[in-house]
Amino acid sequence: MTEQIDKALAREYEAGFVSDVESETFAPGLDESVIQRISKMKGEPEWMLEWRLGAFRDWLQMEEPDWALVDYPKIDFQAISYYSAPKSMKDKPKSLDEVDPELLRTYEKLGIPLIEQQMLAGVAVDAVFDSVSVVTTFREKLEEAGVIFCPISEAIQKYPDLVKKYLGSVVAKKDNYYSALNCAVFTDGSFVYIPKGTRCPMELSTYFRINEQNTGQFERTLIIADEGSHVSYLEGCTAPQRDENQLHAAVVELVAMDDAEIKYSTVQNWYPGDEDGKGGIYNFVTKRGVCHTNAKISWTQVETGSAVTWKYPSCVLKGDNSVGEFYSVALTRGRQQADTGTKMIHLGKNTKSTIIAKGISAGKSNGSYRGLVRMAAGAEGARNFTQCDSLLIGDQCGAHTFPYVESRNPSAIIEHEATTSKVSDEQMFLCQQRGLDPEKAVSMIVNGFCKEVFKELPMEFAVEAGKLLEISLEGSVG
Amino acid sequence: MSAWLESAIARGQDNSDWLAPKRAHALELLSATKWPTRKTEAWRYTPLRPIERSKAVPVENQTGLLPLAIDGLNAIELAFVNGQLDKVQLADTLPEGLTIALGSELSPEQQASALQEFSTIKPERHLFGLVNDALVNDVVIVSVEENVKIDEPVRISSLLSQGAESHTRVLVSLEAGARLTVIEDVQAQGDSLSTAFVEYNIAPKAYLEHYRFALQTGSNLAVGGCHFNLHDHAKMNSTIVAFGSELSRLDTDIIHAGEFADAKLNAMYLLDDKELFDLHATVEHAMPNGTTEENVRCIVADRARAVFNGRIHIHKDAQKTLAELNNRNLLLSDKAEINTKPELEIYADDVRCAHGATVAQIDKQALYYLQTRGVSRAKAQVMLNFGFINELIDLMPNETLAEWIRPIIRERFAQMEVM
Repeated sequence: MTEQIDKALAREYEAGFVSDVESETFAPGLDESVIQRISKMKGEPEWMLEWRLGAFRDWLQMEEPDWALVDYPKIDFQAISYYSAPKSMKDKPKSLDEVDPELLRTYEKLGIPLIEQQMLAGVAVDAVFDSVSVVTTFREKLEEAGVIFCPISEAIQKYPDLVKKYLGSVVAKKDNYYSALNCAVFTDGSFVYIPKGTRCPMELSTYFRINEQNTGQFERTLIIADEGSHVSYLEGCTAPQRDENQLHAAVVELVAMDDAEIKYSTVQNWYPGDEDGKGGIYNFVTKRGVCHTNAKISWTQVETGSAVTWKYPSCVLKGDNSVGEFYSVALTRGRQQADTGTKMIHLGKNTKSTIIAKGISAGKSNGSYRGLVRMAAGAEGARNFTQCDSLLIGDQCGAHTFPYVESRNPSAIIEHEATTSKVSDEQMFLCQQRGLDPEKAVSMIVNGFCKEVFKELPMEFAVEAGKLLEISLEGSVG
Repeated sequence: MSAWLESAIARGQDNSDWLAPKRAHALELLSATKWPTRKTEAWRYTPLRPIERSKAVPVENQTGLLPLAIDGLNAIELAFVNGQLDKVQLADTLPEGLTIALGSELSPEQQASALQEFSTIKPERHLFGLVNDALVNDVVIVSVEENVKIDEPVRISSLLSQGAESHTRVLVSLEAGARLTVIEDVQAQGDSLSTAFVEYNIAPKAYLEHYRFALQTGSNLAVGGCHFNLHDHAKMNSTIVAFGSELSRLDTDIIHAGEFADAKLNAMYLLDDKELFDLHATVEHAMPNGTTEENVRCIVADRARAVFNGRIHIHKDAQKTLAELNNRNLLLSDKAEINTKPELEIYADDVRCAHGATVAQIDKQALYYLQTRGVSRAKAQVMLNFGFINELIDLMPNETLAEWIRPIIRERFAQMEVM
């Protein structure tokens, strides 16, 4: 059995990184001139440049946070290139034949259609894939509904008033070290505006956003759901994604006006690094939403990738009766480290929040839940329920829980519970007795463990997430 | 660095007694320590401004202070008055197998062996523990010989007069199979400041029954620690009752250094007025097969603030550990505050660990039910508050102490202003 575990843990991820230096890539280094160049390249108005420079000056005064339970070599911010142009067609793999067969096998297991496989593997797709027509129909439908969904760089040009009003309104420029850095150097991201009383006719996915290449490193997303509107947004995908940048510091801001609802689902499966954790992605993300009266924001995340994850999607429940939700599955294996959780800041009366966090640690990995529930003095009748469960697979991993609970209102009710255990021998025995092999049994138990979170994901995402977990855990248990 | 800490370091310099090597080490660490701010995790909710502003000074005069009598309790009294051991209050004859001695009065060989143990159980991360290392007058060493069971509890009282600063330190050693009950008690008058640390070394199969009462209120500033080291099959049962003060901070560390050790900790704090009580309870499971059960309950009224940090750390080798932490809080006023953080840090897979925390107010339905039965609202509040705490009082192994503290707690609730 140990042999089996060792073998499984030794399985290498060979998604294959390409590190060609493009002619339009900036030389490494960061100072005000770099920010001016980024802003100029994007053709931004003066106020945007000023905003970026302000953030940069703040960032210089700030210190890198060290409170998370993660360990990684110090990042040299001067050794990073802050802009690289999208790869030209000629440098991309011409067809799937040139793509790493291991990667393709994973795609196959996930049941990803051929066309999507090509997009994910970075094949020069437009030659074979009729993307234009798909995107066009998609856009037409959204326009009809009055929904704006475009790259944020486009929104800065076309809808400066909306951007000016909301950009940095949820995550302040100085909020934290990485958000300040993002403000200074972000290159692109998504912008969504749902007009009053509109239910977005389809689920929005970064997958369909045109002009989205190479925005990964410092991505900026801003979603505004106006009064009484509804939107479901999907980010990422289950397939291992090719990416050239090691440091990712994205910022996502959600604004849910009165009676609006935003559902934000993420599946993250970036390169976790080799056996010793070398070369994996550092994912330092700031995600936060603000809920006005009767509004609801729901975060659902399935985190399986990245070498280091530092991510706390949060809700500021500002309006009375607003609702915040956080559903998370975080799986770590190999040398992965994940410090993730949420913050629920209850300001309004009768605000409600639910936190369901499931952590699965295998191999030599460490997974931590870190969360904050704060009931401000005005949070009359507010309610929170938190459940954090951790599952340990193997005796060299770690699972940790750091919940902060702060209450200043006697009528607020907070419940927090956390458990940590391994896959129980009894459950394994029962499954095996019924004829399941150990691998299938573990996968079934783990899927059951995560069910509460999966059921919050949009249908097809949930199916993929289940499979993703199965593949990630393949053989690593016995 | 604060002026207070600078002066403490300066005062610690001239001491060249038997503790000198330990003091030098503590001073070295202290000079490298940053004075805690809001951003310092261990002091996030407990600002140290009252200590910075404290005018308390060491007082030589020791007379006139006696510990409160506890009805029916026949204890061996070990009283510190303003930081000095009051030998007058110490019994002439002690039960066989029990010794109580001042470190400075030991032979050089005994001192050398005491030095081996001193400050090894108390972790170095406690800032005021280091201050205590540097400033304490002397160390009282309590030891129980192998397989000896001491029936009378040893009561360690720290008595402070108005404006006094005191630093006390006790080292308790239970040899294999020994049994002992220790009661720690602080009684302080206003504007005083104290650091009180006790280290317990509990040898294989020994059993420690432990109580700590901090029922003084007002403007006393109290920083202290109880640190327990459990060897194979050792057991401990600790009860902490605190009423809080302008600033009260207690750090407990339970270290499972042997296999099959068993630890129970029940803590309750009942805060009123502008009081603050901060309990940082750490459990280190370093060895397999240990069990820990912790229950912490707080009732916070008026403008008081309760802080709790309960950390359970399961090390890589501590397989088959069972650890549970339960933290329940009642918030009685809209100006009171509760900050709680139960933490689990787990590096072994075959363990069962859980923690739960709740914050709420008194169950409105229970209150209504009692009122429909003719109980006045105020009285019903006291009954429900008392019931909440009494569940833990019932777990106290010592009946005499339980009987003594029940009316004190009931009185406390009767005085609390409730909404």
